[in-house]
Amino acid sequence: MRVTKTTPPNPTDLIDWLNHEGLLELDWDFPEDGDLAAAGLDSMAVMQLVVAVEDCFGLELGPDDLTRANLATPKALAALLAAKMS
Amino acid sequence: MKPDSGRFDVAVIGGGSAGLAAAISAARNGARTLLVERHGCLGGMGTASLVHTFCGLYLLREEPGAVIANPGFCEEIATLMTQATGRGPLRMGRLDVLPQHPVEFVGIADGLIASEPLIELRLHTVVTGVSRDADGWEIRLAGCAGAHVVRARSLVDASGDAVVADFLGGAFSIAPPLSLQRPAYVFGVHGPVALDEELRLRTAGLLVEGVRSGALHAAALGLSFRNSGRPCEFFGTLDLDGGDAAADYDPLDPACLGRLETHGRAIAASAVRWLCGHDAHWRGSYISHWPVRAGIRESRRWLGGYTLTGDDLASGRRFEDEIALATWPMEFRETAKGPKLRYPQDNRPAGIPLRCLKPAGIGRLFVAGRCISADHEAQASIRVMGTCFATGEAAGRAAAKAASSP
Repeated sequence: MRVTKTTPPNPTDLIDWLNHEGLLELDWDFPEDGDLAAAGLDSMAVMQLVVAVEDCFGLELGPDDLTRANLATPKALAALLAAKMS
Repeated sequence: MKPDSGRFDVAVIGGGSAGLAAAISAARNGARTLLVERHGCLGGMGTASLVHTFCGLYLLREEPGAVIANPGFCEEIATLMTQATGRGPLRMGRLDVLPQHPVEFVGIADGLIASEPLIELRLHTVVTGVSRDADGWEIRLAGCAGAHVVRARSLVDASGDAVVADFLGGAFSIAPPLSLQRPAYVFGVHGPVALDEELRLRTAGLLVEGVRSGALHAAALGLSFRNSGRPCEFFGTLDLDGGDAAADYDPLDPACLGRLETHGRAIAASAVRWLCGHDAHWRGSYISHWPVRAGIRESRRWLGGYTLTGDDLASGRRFEDEIALATWPMEFRETAKGPKLRYPQDNRPAGIPLRCLKPAGIGRLFVAGRCISADHEAQASIRVMGTCFATGEAAGRAAAKAASSP
Protein backbone atom coordinates (compact mmCIF):
# COMPACT_ATOMS: atom_id res chain seq x y z
CA MET A 1 0.00 0.00 0.00
CA ARG A 2 1.24 3.46 -0.82
CA VAL A 3 1.91 5.96 1.90
CA THR A 4 0.00 9.16 1.33
CA LYS A 5 2.27 12.17 1.38
CA THR A 6 1.11 14.77 3.85
CA THR A 7 3.28 17.73 2.93
CA PRO A 8 2.82 19.56 -0.34
CA PRO A 9 5.72 19.17 -2.78
CA ASN A 10 7.84 22.15 -3.75
CA PRO A 11 8.08 22.79 -7.50
CA THR A 12 11.39 20.92 -7.88
CA ASP A 13 10.10 17.85 -6.06
CA LEU A 14 7.00 18.05 -8.17
CA ILE A 15 9.08 17.86 -11.37
CA ASP A 16 10.75 14.68 -10.02
CA TRP A 17 7.40 13.31 -8.99
CA LEU A 18 5.85 13.93 -12.44
CA ASN A 19 8.75 12.02 -14.00
CA HIS A 20 8.67 9.27 -11.39
CA GLU A 21 4.95 8.69 -11.92
CA GLY A 22 5.57 8.45 -15.66
CA LEU A 23 3.17 11.34 -16.28
CA LEU A 24 5.69 13.42 -18.20
CA GLU A 25 9.28 13.14 -19.29
CA LEU A 26 10.81 16.41 -18.14
CA ASP A 27 14.49 17.26 -18.47
CA TRP A 28 16.45 17.41 -15.22
CA ASP A 29 16.78 21.15 -15.69
CA PHE A 30 13.12 21.76 -16.53
CA PRO A 31 12.39 25.21 -15.04
CA GLU A 32 9.87 25.75 -12.22
CA ASP A 33 8.00 28.12 -14.47
CA GLY A 34 8.37 25.93 -17.57
CA ASP A 35 5.36 25.33 -19.79
CA LEU A 36 3.81 21.99 -18.77
CA ALA A 37 1.31 21.95 -21.63
CA ALA A 38 4.16 22.25 -24.14
CA ALA A 39 5.94 19.46 -22.25
CA GLY A 40 3.04 17.12 -22.93
CA LEU A 41 0.51 17.76 -20.17
CA ASP A 42 -2.50 17.35 -22.43
CA SER A 43 -6.00 16.38 -21.36
CA MET A 44 -5.09 12.68 -21.26
CA ALA A 45 -2.05 13.31 -19.09
CA VAL A 46 -4.17 15.56 -16.87
CA MET A 47 -6.51 12.66 -16.18
CA GLN A 48 -3.57 10.46 -15.21
CA LEU A 49 -2.28 13.34 -13.08
CA VAL A 50 -5.56 13.62 -11.17
CA VAL A 51 -5.53 9.90 -10.46
CA ALA A 52 -1.89 10.02 -9.31
CA VAL A 53 -2.48 13.07 -7.10
CA GLU A 54 -5.33 11.22 -5.43
CA ASP A 55 -3.16 8.14 -4.91
CA CYS A 56 -0.07 9.93 -3.62
CA PHE A 57 -1.41 12.96 -1.83
CA GLY A 58 -4.94 11.90 -0.99
CA LEU A 59 -6.26 15.01 -2.75
CA GLU A 60 -9.29 15.04 -5.01
CA LEU A 61 -8.92 17.51 -7.86
CA GLY A 62 -12.22 18.39 -9.50
CA PRO A 63 -13.14 20.03 -12.81
CA ASP A 64 -13.01 23.49 -11.19
CA ASP A 65 -9.39 22.94 -10.12
CA LEU A 66 -8.27 21.95 -13.59
CA THR A 67 -7.82 25.36 -15.12
CA ARG A 68 -5.09 26.36 -17.49
CA ALA A 69 -3.64 28.70 -14.88
CA ASN A 70 -3.42 25.98 -12.20
CA LEU A 71 -1.70 23.54 -14.55
CA ALA A 72 0.50 25.97 -16.44
CA THR A 73 3.82 25.37 -14.63
CA PRO A 74 5.34 23.18 -11.89
CA LYS A 75 5.14 26.27 -9.65
CA ALA A 76 1.41 26.77 -10.31
CA LEU A 77 0.65 23.09 -9.84
CA ALA A 78 2.62 22.95 -6.56
CA ALA A 79 0.65 25.98 -5.36
CA LEU A 80 -2.62 24.25 -6.25
CA LEU A 81 -1.64 21.15 -4.29
CA ALA A 82 -0.52 23.25 -1.31
CA ALA A 83 -3.82 25.15 -1.35
CA LYS A 84 -5.84 21.92 -1.52
CA MET A 85 -3.85 20.45 1.37
CA SER A 86 -4.28 23.35 3.72
CA MET B 1 -13.79 -20.79 -58.49
CA LYS B 2 -14.53 -18.56 -61.48
CA PRO B 3 -11.65 -17.83 -63.82
CA ASP B 4 -10.83 -14.16 -64.15
CA SER B 5 -9.22 -12.69 -67.19
CA GLY B 6 -7.39 -10.20 -65.03
CA ARG B 7 -3.68 -10.05 -65.70
CA PHE B 8 -1.81 -7.17 -64.17
CA ASP B 9 1.72 -5.91 -63.94
CA VAL B 10 1.31 -5.03 -60.28
CA ALA B 11 -1.25 -6.05 -57.67
CA VAL B 12 -1.49 -4.06 -54.44
CA ILE B 13 -3.15 -5.66 -51.44
CA GLY B 14 -4.78 -3.09 -49.18
CA GLY B 15 -6.00 0.41 -50.03
CA GLY B 16 -4.87 2.29 -46.94
CA SER B 17 -2.40 5.16 -47.08
CA ALA B 18 0.44 2.86 -48.20
CA GLY B 19 -1.60 0.88 -50.73
CA LEU B 20 -3.10 4.02 -52.25
CA ALA B 21 0.36 5.52 -52.70
CA ALA B 22 1.74 2.23 -54.05
CA ALA B 23 -1.01 1.83 -56.66
CA ILE B 24 -0.75 5.45 -57.86
CA SER B 25 3.01 5.23 -58.05
CA ALA B 26 2.98 1.87 -59.88
CA ALA B 27 0.47 3.23 -62.41
CA ARG B 28 2.48 6.40 -62.95
CA ASN B 29 5.47 4.19 -63.66
CA GLY B 30 3.51 2.55 -66.46
CA ALA B 31 2.23 -0.57 -64.69
CA ARG B 32 -1.25 -1.93 -65.23
CA THR B 33 -2.21 -2.07 -61.57
CA LEU B 34 -4.85 -3.83 -59.51
CA LEU B 35 -5.72 -2.32 -56.12
CA VAL B 36 -7.67 -4.57 -53.75
CA GLU B 37 -9.44 -3.13 -50.71
CA ARG B 38 -11.78 -4.87 -48.25
CA HIS B 39 -13.88 -1.77 -47.42
CA GLY B 40 -16.02 0.42 -49.67
CA CYS B 41 -13.54 3.29 -49.73
CA LEU B 42 -9.80 3.84 -49.68
CA GLY B 43 -7.75 5.42 -46.92
CA GLY B 44 -7.62 2.67 -44.29
CA MET B 45 -6.80 4.03 -40.86
CA GLY B 46 -7.32 7.58 -42.15
CA THR B 47 -10.89 6.90 -43.25
CA ALA B 48 -12.32 3.64 -41.86
CA SER B 49 -10.71 4.25 -38.46
CA LEU B 50 -11.15 8.05 -38.42
CA VAL B 51 -7.49 8.75 -37.61
CA HIS B 52 -7.58 12.47 -38.36
CA THR B 53 -3.93 13.55 -38.36
CA PHE B 54 -1.23 12.89 -40.93
CA CYS B 55 1.91 12.37 -38.84
CA GLY B 56 5.41 11.87 -40.24
CA LEU B 57 4.98 14.21 -43.22
CA TYR B 58 7.42 16.82 -41.94
CA LEU B 59 10.99 17.04 -40.74
CA LEU B 60 11.56 17.31 -37.03
CA ARG B 61 12.98 20.76 -36.36
CA GLU B 62 13.16 23.45 -33.70
CA GLU B 63 12.58 26.30 -36.14
CA PRO B 64 8.99 27.25 -36.92
CA GLY B 65 7.51 26.21 -40.27
CA ALA B 66 6.75 22.71 -41.46
CA VAL B 67 9.10 21.23 -44.08
CA ILE B 68 8.02 18.14 -46.05
CA ALA B 69 10.43 15.26 -45.41
CA ASN B 70 9.66 13.18 -48.49
CA PRO B 71 8.82 15.03 -51.70
CA GLY B 72 6.51 13.35 -54.21
CA PHE B 73 3.30 11.69 -53.14
CA CYS B 74 3.49 13.03 -49.56
CA GLU B 75 3.66 16.56 -50.84
CA GLU B 76 0.86 15.94 -53.34
CA ILE B 77 -1.52 14.54 -50.75
CA ALA B 78 -0.64 17.27 -48.23
CA THR B 79 -1.47 19.92 -50.84
CA LEU B 80 -4.75 18.24 -51.78
CA MET B 81 -5.75 17.87 -48.12
CA THR B 82 -4.92 21.48 -47.32
CA GLN B 83 -7.00 22.61 -50.31
CA ALA B 84 -9.90 20.45 -49.15
CA THR B 85 -9.91 21.43 -45.47
CA GLY B 86 -8.42 24.90 -45.61
CA ARG B 87 -6.07 23.83 -42.82
CA GLY B 88 -2.30 23.73 -43.08
CA PRO B 89 0.25 22.09 -40.83
CA LEU B 90 -0.01 22.57 -37.06
CA ARG B 91 2.73 22.41 -34.48
CA MET B 92 1.75 20.18 -31.58
CA GLY B 93 4.42 20.31 -28.90
CA ARG B 94 7.65 19.69 -30.86
CA LEU B 95 5.93 18.09 -33.83
CA ASP B 96 4.44 19.38 -37.06
CA VAL B 97 1.36 17.48 -38.20
CA LEU B 98 -1.27 17.97 -40.87
CA PRO B 99 -4.85 17.73 -39.58
CA GLN B 100 -6.84 15.70 -42.07
CA HIS B 101 -10.54 15.00 -42.42
CA PRO B 102 -11.53 11.39 -43.16
CA VAL B 103 -14.43 12.51 -45.38
CA GLU B 104 -12.07 14.63 -47.48
CA PHE B 105 -9.53 11.81 -47.58
CA VAL B 106 -12.10 9.49 -49.16
CA GLY B 107 -12.82 12.10 -51.83
CA ILE B 108 -9.15 12.80 -52.50
CA ALA B 109 -8.44 9.08 -52.90
CA ASP B 110 -11.41 8.71 -55.30
CA GLY B 111 -10.11 11.64 -57.36
CA LEU B 112 -6.57 10.30 -57.50
CA ILE B 113 -7.70 6.84 -58.60
CA ALA B 114 -10.07 8.28 -61.22
CA SER B 115 -7.18 10.14 -62.84
CA GLU B 116 -5.10 6.97 -63.28
CA PRO B 117 -6.50 4.90 -66.17
CA LEU B 118 -3.97 2.12 -65.51
CA ILE B 119 -5.48 1.36 -62.08
CA GLU B 120 -8.27 -1.13 -61.67
CA LEU B 121 -9.84 -0.75 -58.23
CA ARG B 122 -11.62 -3.66 -56.55
CA LEU B 123 -13.42 -2.52 -53.43
CA HIS B 124 -15.31 -4.92 -51.16
CA THR B 125 -12.77 -7.58 -52.00
CA VAL B 126 -10.50 -9.58 -49.77
CA VAL B 127 -7.44 -11.60 -50.69
CA THR B 128 -7.70 -15.19 -49.50
CA GLY B 129 -4.35 -16.47 -50.71
CA VAL B 130 -1.41 -15.91 -53.01
CA SER B 131 1.13 -18.18 -54.62
CA ARG B 132 4.27 -17.57 -56.62
CA ASP B 133 5.35 -19.33 -59.81
CA ALA B 134 7.94 -18.67 -62.51
CA ASP B 135 5.76 -16.08 -64.23
CA GLY B 136 4.71 -14.12 -61.16
CA TRP B 137 1.83 -14.19 -58.71
CA GLU B 138 -1.52 -15.90 -58.57
CA ILE B 139 -3.83 -13.97 -56.27
CA ARG B 140 -7.07 -15.42 -54.95
CA LEU B 141 -9.80 -12.86 -54.33
CA ALA B 142 -13.19 -13.19 -52.71
CA GLY B 143 -16.20 -10.91 -52.65
CA CYS B 144 -19.96 -11.30 -52.33
CA ALA B 145 -20.14 -12.58 -55.92
CA GLY B 146 -17.74 -15.41 -55.18
CA ALA B 147 -14.10 -16.21 -55.65
CA HIS B 148 -11.78 -15.09 -58.46
CA VAL B 149 -8.19 -15.62 -59.41
CA VAL B 150 -6.07 -12.88 -60.93
CA ARG B 151 -2.43 -12.78 -61.93
CA ALA B 152 0.20 -10.12 -61.50
CA ARG B 153 3.92 -9.91 -62.25
CA SER B 154 4.69 -8.04 -59.02
CA LEU B 155 2.91 -7.96 -55.69
CA VAL B 156 2.80 -5.26 -53.03
CA ASP B 157 1.72 -6.21 -49.52
CA ALA B 158 0.18 -3.04 -48.13
CA SER B 159 -2.23 -4.96 -45.94
CA GLY B 160 -0.86 -3.51 -42.69
CA ASP B 161 -0.99 -7.02 -41.26
CA ALA B 162 1.62 -8.64 -43.55
CA VAL B 163 -1.05 -11.05 -44.78
CA VAL B 164 1.18 -12.23 -47.61
CA ALA B 165 3.75 -13.39 -45.05
CA ASP B 166 1.00 -15.46 -43.47
CA PHE B 167 -0.16 -16.90 -46.82
CA LEU B 168 3.35 -17.86 -47.86
CA GLY B 169 4.54 -19.00 -44.48
CA GLY B 170 7.08 -16.18 -44.91
CA ALA B 171 9.24 -14.69 -42.21
CA PHE B 172 7.46 -12.26 -39.94
CA SER B 173 7.57 -11.15 -36.37
CA ILE B 174 4.94 -9.99 -33.92
CA ALA B 175 5.41 -8.44 -30.50
CA PRO B 176 4.01 -10.23 -27.44
CA PRO B 177 0.43 -9.17 -26.55
CA LEU B 178 1.38 -6.84 -23.68
CA SER B 179 3.99 -5.01 -25.79
CA LEU B 180 1.89 -4.51 -28.92
CA GLN B 181 0.87 -0.90 -29.45
CA ARG B 182 -2.69 -0.53 -28.21
CA PRO B 183 -5.46 0.18 -30.72
CA ALA B 184 -7.28 3.53 -30.84
CA TYR B 185 -11.04 3.79 -31.10
CA VAL B 186 -11.94 7.08 -32.79
CA PHE B 187 -15.53 8.30 -33.13
CA GLY B 188 -17.29 11.43 -34.34
CA VAL B 189 -19.09 13.73 -31.92
CA HIS B 190 -21.47 16.59 -32.57
CA GLY B 191 -20.58 18.76 -29.65
CA PRO B 192 -19.87 22.06 -27.97
CA VAL B 193 -19.44 25.17 -30.06
CA ALA B 194 -15.80 25.64 -29.05
CA LEU B 195 -13.54 23.10 -27.44
CA ASP B 196 -10.82 25.40 -26.15
CA GLU B 197 -8.01 24.49 -23.78
CA GLU B 198 -10.04 25.40 -20.68
CA LEU B 199 -12.92 23.15 -21.71
CA ARG B 200 -10.52 20.39 -22.66
CA LEU B 201 -9.05 20.43 -19.14
CA ARG B 202 -12.46 20.75 -17.56
CA THR B 203 -13.59 17.77 -19.62
CA ALA B 204 -10.64 15.77 -18.33
CA GLY B 205 -11.72 16.68 -14.78
CA LEU B 206 -15.32 15.69 -15.49
CA LEU B 207 -14.24 12.31 -16.83
CA VAL B 208 -12.08 11.67 -13.77
CA GLU B 209 -15.05 12.60 -11.59
CA GLY B 210 -17.21 10.16 -13.52
CA VAL B 211 -14.69 7.38 -12.98
CA ARG B 212 -14.25 8.32 -9.31
CA SER B 213 -18.01 8.19 -8.73
CA GLY B 214 -18.25 4.77 -10.34
CA ALA B 215 -20.49 6.04 -13.16
CA LEU B 216 -17.78 5.59 -15.80
CA HIS B 217 -15.45 2.70 -16.55
CA ALA B 218 -11.78 3.43 -15.76
CA ALA B 219 -11.04 3.12 -19.49
CA ALA B 220 -12.75 6.52 -19.93
CA LEU B 221 -9.43 7.96 -18.66
CA GLY B 222 -8.04 7.06 -22.08
CA LEU B 223 -10.43 9.45 -23.84
CA SER B 224 -9.53 12.76 -25.44
CA PHE B 225 -11.33 15.11 -27.83
CA ARG B 226 -10.13 17.19 -30.75
CA ASN B 227 -11.84 19.60 -33.14
CA SER B 228 -12.38 18.16 -36.60
CA GLY B 229 -11.92 21.56 -38.23
CA ARG B 230 -15.64 21.75 -38.97
CA PRO B 231 -18.05 23.67 -36.73
CA CYS B 232 -19.44 21.64 -33.83
CA GLU B 233 -17.75 18.45 -35.04
CA PHE B 234 -15.19 16.65 -32.89
CA PHE B 235 -13.33 13.41 -32.78
CA GLY B 236 -13.13 11.47 -29.58
CA THR B 237 -10.14 9.15 -29.33
CA LEU B 238 -10.07 6.31 -26.87
CA ASP B 239 -6.98 4.19 -26.45
CA LEU B 240 -8.01 0.65 -25.61
CA ASP B 241 -5.63 -1.36 -23.48
CA GLY B 242 -7.79 -4.45 -23.42
CA GLY B 243 -8.43 -4.10 -19.67
CA ASP B 244 -8.33 -7.39 -17.79
CA ALA B 245 -7.84 -9.16 -21.10
CA ALA B 246 -4.76 -7.06 -22.05
CA ALA B 247 -2.56 -10.16 -21.99
CA ASP B 248 -4.81 -11.77 -24.61
CA TYR B 249 -4.80 -8.84 -27.04
CA ASP B 250 -4.56 -10.13 -30.60
CA PRO B 251 -5.05 -7.60 -33.40
CA LEU B 252 -5.34 -10.45 -35.91
CA ASP B 253 -8.21 -12.19 -34.13
CA PRO B 254 -11.60 -10.86 -35.28
CA ALA B 255 -13.25 -12.02 -32.06
CA CYS B 256 -10.73 -10.13 -29.94
CA LEU B 257 -11.03 -6.99 -32.06
CA GLY B 258 -14.80 -7.18 -32.01
CA ARG B 259 -14.85 -7.41 -28.23
CA LEU B 260 -12.53 -4.42 -27.92
CA GLU B 261 -14.64 -2.38 -30.34
CA THR B 262 -17.88 -3.23 -28.54
CA HIS B 263 -16.21 -2.24 -25.29
CA GLY B 264 -14.92 0.99 -26.88
CA ARG B 265 -18.40 1.95 -28.04
CA ALA B 266 -19.89 1.35 -24.60
CA ILE B 267 -17.22 3.49 -22.91
CA ALA B 268 -17.52 6.27 -25.47
CA ALA B 269 -21.32 6.34 -25.27
CA SER B 270 -21.38 6.45 -21.48
CA ALA B 271 -18.68 9.14 -21.37
CA VAL B 272 -20.49 11.42 -23.82
CA ARG B 273 -23.75 10.90 -21.91
CA TRP B 274 -21.98 11.76 -18.67
CA LEU B 275 -20.47 14.94 -20.11
CA CYS B 276 -23.88 15.99 -21.49
CA GLY B 277 -25.47 15.61 -18.08
CA HIS B 278 -22.71 17.31 -16.08
CA ASP B 279 -21.58 20.33 -18.01
CA ALA B 280 -23.47 23.11 -19.75
CA HIS B 281 -20.96 23.25 -22.62
CA TRP B 282 -21.53 19.61 -23.46
CA ARG B 283 -25.32 19.65 -23.15
CA GLY B 284 -26.99 18.41 -26.32
CA SER B 285 -23.87 16.64 -27.61
CA TYR B 286 -24.11 13.23 -29.19
CA ILE B 287 -21.99 10.66 -30.97
CA SER B 288 -22.52 11.30 -34.66
CA HIS B 289 -20.60 8.36 -36.13
CA TRP B 290 -18.65 5.26 -35.29
CA PRO B 291 -15.56 4.08 -37.13
CA VAL B 292 -15.78 1.09 -39.45
CA ARG B 293 -13.00 -0.47 -37.40
CA ALA B 294 -10.64 0.26 -34.51
CA GLY B 295 -7.35 1.91 -35.41
CA ILE B 296 -4.75 -0.85 -35.28
CA ARG B 297 -1.23 0.42 -34.73
CA GLU B 298 0.77 -2.78 -34.88
CA SER B 299 0.41 -6.42 -35.80
CA ARG B 300 2.68 -8.65 -37.94
CA ARG B 301 5.90 -7.14 -39.27
CA TRP B 302 7.70 -8.63 -42.28
CA LEU B 303 11.32 -9.65 -41.87
CA GLY B 304 13.05 -8.37 -44.98
CA GLY B 305 16.55 -7.95 -46.32
CA TYR B 306 17.13 -5.48 -43.51
CA THR B 307 15.20 -4.87 -40.30
CA LEU B 308 15.15 -1.23 -39.28
CA THR B 309 15.83 -0.86 -35.54
CA GLY B 310 14.98 1.56 -32.79
CA ASP B 311 18.68 2.43 -32.54
CA ASP B 312 18.75 3.32 -36.26
CA LEU B 313 15.88 5.72 -35.64
CA ALA B 314 17.33 7.14 -32.43
CA SER B 315 20.67 7.91 -34.07
CA GLY B 316 19.23 9.10 -37.37
CA ARG B 317 21.11 6.45 -39.34
CA ARG B 318 21.23 6.89 -43.11
CA PHE B 319 21.53 4.16 -45.78
CA GLU B 320 22.89 3.94 -49.32
CA ASP B 321 19.67 2.36 -50.54
CA GLU B 322 17.24 4.52 -48.57
CA ILE B 323 13.95 5.26 -50.27
CA ALA B 324 12.35 7.56 -47.73
CA LEU B 325 12.98 9.36 -44.46
CA ALA B 326 11.36 8.45 -41.17
CA THR B 327 10.84 11.63 -39.15
CA TRP B 328 8.19 10.79 -36.58
CA PRO B 329 9.58 10.05 -33.09
CA MET B 330 9.06 6.51 -31.86
CA GLU B 331 5.61 6.83 -30.34
CA PHE B 332 4.88 4.08 -27.84
CA ARG B 333 1.28 3.33 -27.03
CA GLU B 334 1.79 0.14 -25.09
CA THR B 335 -0.68 1.28 -22.44
CA ALA B 336 -3.79 3.45 -22.68
CA LYS B 337 -2.11 6.20 -20.63
CA GLY B 338 -1.12 8.39 -23.56
CA PRO B 339 1.96 8.27 -25.76
CA LYS B 340 5.57 7.94 -24.68
CA LEU B 341 7.78 9.56 -27.28
CA ARG B 342 11.42 8.77 -28.02
CA TYR B 343 13.07 11.45 -30.13
CA PRO B 344 16.11 10.97 -32.36
CA GLN B 345 19.41 12.59 -31.53
CA ASP B 346 19.51 16.20 -32.78
CA ASN B 347 16.12 15.75 -34.51
CA ARG B 348 17.80 13.72 -37.24
CA PRO B 349 15.63 11.84 -39.72
CA ALA B 350 16.53 8.21 -40.36
CA GLY B 351 16.66 6.57 -43.76
CA ILE B 352 14.42 3.63 -44.63
CA PRO B 353 16.40 1.25 -46.88
CA LEU B 354 14.71 -0.41 -49.84
CA ARG B 355 15.72 -3.73 -48.24
CA CYS B 356 13.05 -3.12 -45.55
CA LEU B 357 10.47 -3.27 -48.36
CA LYS B 358 11.78 -6.53 -49.85
CA PRO B 359 11.13 -9.80 -48.07
CA ALA B 360 14.29 -11.87 -48.26
CA GLY B 361 14.47 -14.47 -51.02
CA ILE B 362 11.06 -13.81 -52.63
CA GLY B 363 11.33 -12.07 -55.99
CA ARG B 364 8.91 -9.37 -57.17
CA LEU B 365 7.35 -8.98 -53.74
CA PHE B 366 7.38 -5.65 -51.95
CA VAL B 367 5.97 -4.40 -48.67
CA ALA B 368 4.68 -0.95 -47.79
CA GLY B 369 3.17 0.74 -44.77
CA ARG B 370 3.20 -0.27 -41.14
CA CYS B 371 4.24 -3.89 -41.77
CA ILE B 372 7.59 -3.25 -43.48
CA SER B 373 10.66 -4.90 -42.00
CA ALA B 374 11.25 -2.97 -38.75
CA ASP B 375 11.56 -4.00 -35.14
CA HIS B 376 8.90 -3.12 -32.57
CA GLU B 377 10.66 0.15 -31.65
CA ALA B 378 11.25 1.37 -35.21
CA GLN B 379 7.69 0.37 -36.16
CA ALA B 380 6.50 2.87 -33.53
CA SER B 381 7.80 5.59 -35.89
CA ILE B 382 7.32 4.23 -39.40
CA ARG B 383 3.67 3.17 -38.84
CA VAL B 384 2.31 6.73 -39.22
CA MET B 385 0.42 7.66 -42.38
CA GLY B 386 2.91 10.28 -43.57
CA THR B 387 5.63 7.64 -43.66
CA CYS B 388 3.25 5.01 -45.10
CA PHE B 389 2.62 7.28 -48.10
CA ALA B 390 6.38 7.42 -48.67
CA THR B 391 7.05 3.68 -48.32
CA GLY B 392 3.97 3.02 -50.48
CA GLU B 393 5.22 5.28 -53.22
CA ALA B 394 8.63 3.58 -53.18
CA ALA B 395 7.13 0.07 -53.15
CA GLY B 396 4.85 0.91 -56.11
CA ARG B 397 7.76 2.27 -58.11
CA ALA B 398 9.96 -0.75 -57.32
CA ALA B 399 7.11 -3.17 -58.11
CA ALA B 400 6.47 -1.52 -61.49
CA LYS B 401 10.15 -1.70 -62.34
CA ALA B 402 10.40 -5.35 -61.32
CA ALA B 403 7.27 -6.18 -63.38
CA SER B 404 8.83 -4.83 -66.56
CA SER B 405 12.15 -6.63 -66.12
CA PRO B 406 12.51 -10.24 -67.29
